[in-house]
Amino acid sequence: MVHLTEETLSELLDGESVAGAGEHLSSCSVCQDELEALRQLRAELRELPDLGAPEDLWMRIEAGLPGSRRGWRAGLRGPRLVALQAVAAAAVFVIGLGLGRAMWSDGPGSEAGVGAVAASRPSAMTLTEAMAEVQRRGADYDEALQNLERLARQEGAPVPSLAQQRLVGLQMLVEASRTALSVEPADPVLNSYLFAAVEERDAMLRELNEVQGPGEQVLWR
Amino acid sequence: MVDLAEATLVRRARAGQLEAMRQLYERHASRVYTVVRRLAGDDDLAADLAQDAWTNAFQRIRDFRGESAFGTWVHRVAVNTALTRLRQAARRRDLERGFDGATTLGNPDRWPAAGAAERVTVQRALDLLPDGYRSVLWLHDVEGYTHEEIGARLGIAVGTSKSQLSKARARLRALVTQSRAGVRS
Repeated sequence: MVHLTEETLSELLDGESVAGAGEHLSSCSVCQDELEALRQLRAELRELPDLGAPEDLWMRIEAGLPGSRRGWRAGLRGPRLVALQAVAAAAVFVIGLGLGRAMWSDGPGSEAGVGAVAASRPSAMTLTEAMAEVQRRGADYDEALQNLERLARQEGAPVPSLAQQRLVGLQMLVEASRTALSVEPADPVLNSYLFAAVEERDAMLRELNEVQGPGEQVLWR
Repeated sequence: MVDLAEATLVRRARAGQLEAMRQLYERHASRVYTVVRRLAGDDDLAADLAQDAWTNAFQRIRDFRGESAFGTWVHRVAVNTALTRLRQAARRRDLERGFDGATTLGNPDRWPAAGAAERVTVQRALDLLPDGYRSVLWLHDVEGYTHEEIGARLGIAVGTSKSQLSKARARLRALVTQSRAGVRS
């Protein structure tokens, strides 16, 4: 027996009438089963569940929208991005040094934790190596800072809050951006970078000042 | 019924407010991603298509007149964006005739075979179809497009759309049957 073609079955599935197909179908269980299987498969297609969008999708979309603060970051590519990352990483590292000094300026052995990190001279010969070195030393410093914080808590010494640490970090980014702009004052990326850092720093300042009393407010230029 | 909250979000998004755009995105992200993922047959491409679709939608949001729900409108934008990109990609690969099934992609012997031990779900089987077959099948059987509408969007004849649909259904059926038989044995 010659069975119905896939084209004919498809037409029947869509409710079209095909000459002679009805007669064949009524007497052929193979084609009946095939048509039913196609109908079932179409139902399964329609019942496929909705999918969740990737988590980072909105960030990608936002970066391309006018007025986005992420746009300038998304536009960074190549050496310029590496240089800015180096500036940022170096700034974070320096912030840590400053923070450590600030914490221990009143006590004996005040630079013990800092000295452990800052003792050796940089040895990197290329930008990539320098980035790796900064990151490595930053990780070392993080460990040293955690140790300092632990000891400070044990001895009852003051420990800066996370917000204060962020504030110092943001101020260092502002300064690093200004330094970079002194070399390339018209660079739009660097200007955007400074703008974003100032905006974040001021937001953090407002947040801190809301928590503190009027006489204790932090002021920053 | 007009969704007043959504109408407000649309108005604010038209004014360029990013937060309103983000909220509109949150409301319809899944629906948009799902349709482009079904058409793309690939996660990475789907993410790119969804990004393009939303960017297009927000750039053209002034064209949205509120005659349909925003979700319906952005869904349509997503379908059009995906089909345009897929056609461009096919042209770049010199496979535009893939939509007609006339290239190697239309030859069942050249299609990627599912492993016998692999349980090919309907979703996976859909991914294994050639772009043109998958597009026609999804647009017709799920989105409810007519062959005339599909032909206009894909740049193919109505007869070609019908032919692609029957081949896509048959191939999908073969893939799923083969897989389920493999799992049972």
